[in-house]
Amino acid sequence: MTTLGARIRAIPSWQVTLGLALLALGFLIAAQLAAEGPRVRYTTQERSPLVETALALQQTQADLKTRIVGLRQQIQDIEQQGAGSAAVVKDLNTRLEQARIAAGLIRLHGTGIVLKLEDSTQPVPPNGNESDYLAGATDLRTVVALLWQSGAEAIAINGERITTSTAIIDIGGSVLVNAAYIAGPYQIFAIGPKDLFARLSATPGWEEFVRIRRGSFGIGISWAEPDAVDVPAFAGSVTLRESKSVPSPTPTAAASGAAGAVGSGP
Amino acid sequence: MKPGLRDLRSLLTVTVVAAILGLLIVVQLHGQTGGSELQSKSAQELTSIITSENTENDRLRAEITTLQDQLARLQTDRSNGATSVDQIESELGRIRAWAGLDPIAGRGVEIMISGDINAAAVDDLLNELRNAGAEAISIEDIRVIAMTSVGGVPGSLDVEGFLIRDPFTVRAIGRPETLVGSLTRVGGIIAQLSATNPTVLVDVKPVNQPMILPASKRDLVPAHGRPTL
Repeated sequence: MTTLGARIRAIPSWQVTLGLALLALGFLIAAQLAAEGPRVRYTTQERSPLVETALALQQTQADLKTRIVGLRQQIQDIEQQGAGSAAVVKDLNTRLEQARIAAGLIRLHGTGIVLKLEDSTQPVPPNGNESDYLAGATDLRTVVALLWQSGAEAIAINGERITTSTAIIDIGGSVLVNAAYIAGPYQIFAIGPKDLFARLSATPGWEEFVRIRRGSFGIGISWAEPDAVDVPAFAGSVTLRESKSVPSPTPTAAASGAAGAVGSGP
Repeated sequence: MKPGLRDLRSLLTVTVVAAILGLLIVVQLHGQTGGSELQSKSAQELTSIITSENTENDRLRAEITTLQDQLARLQTDRSNGATSVDQIESELGRIRAWAGLDPIAGRGVEIMISGDINAAAVDDLLNELRNAGAEAISIEDIRVIAMTSVGGVPGSLDVEGFLIRDPFTVRAIGRPETLVGSLTRVGGIIAQLSATNPTVLVDVKPVNQPMILPASKRDLVPAHGRPTL
């Protein structure tokens, strides 16, 4: 032992430094190669303007959505201020808020789970299909469907709220949710009962999904059960261009008879 | 002299390794930044993304115009000391219809499906209709909402807990030309369905007269989530 210790002490410090540096170098090269694996990189010059345009459009989209959320809040504030003026208005405002919550136009906070899907880090076999090793729209739609079946009440993927009009599609190797480009890793926030994950993992669909996507293709699937989850409001369009509402026979029918301007002053 | 040369050699070796190490760290960190995903797309994929984003941004601008008009009317009413019941009712009707809480009427498409279609294929069809801009969808008399998922086996599908037997009809409200075009384009969803489910017959026809799609039977008020600002 003494001899071994003496030998170790006899190693020049520069060799130790070099050894550690080479170790780090090897790790970084491996990490770089792994990151390059599934996603093909293109280097042609003509793509630069396209990338810049896409980035600019994404920024514009984010700004437009922020404005929409702000305008909806302003409208809601004004409508609420008139709430105490008349029973009809108060009732309408209560129903309006409930409808907005049901439609996904209001941010929700509650118990739930967060799931994360990531591209596989496994090398694609020579006869394999590269897209099988990428987390994509089909995976996201499968997980979203399983979450609804398990009792989820509100879901968002990378900040995009899932609503009645939400399409989740692949474009090349990308995913569009609510026509917004999102990039992996994909984080799915879901509000639901406290045992939402237990319910999800008890479904045959989840077991099959994990077995095939993680087991066969190495797709990264992880989850967390925080105390509370936030799901943002839908910031897209709810304009009906080709359709119109057909009111249900509800108490609104009585209120609609009072349509018109109602004084809100003292 | 010898020890001096060896020191210089080792110093040079460490310097070169450190330089490569630094370069790799920068490359790795750069690769982790947000824009890198777009850098990995082909020109064709980028064009598709740009087209989709342009369309969505136009929709969002139209929504902003609508909301600004609505806000202006509310502000005018408020300054006149009045609250517009008409306007709140209109807003309520629009949101309830959009969310599936109320029936909805409009022109669109009717898709007759017969044969052993599986649940995943029906789900793909619903996704495509949403992507094409459908404002409301129903399967038979069941309104499709965000939470709707299709299960079961071919011939007896399960939608919202209701049994859907072969054949069945999917109705979607939206601009008929756009919906039909999107569904029946070369390589589109109908072509894919025909290729993967050869025994399934899908007949798409535009409906230019208003159809009425029913309201959802679900209670959409959350029990576990509470609204926050």
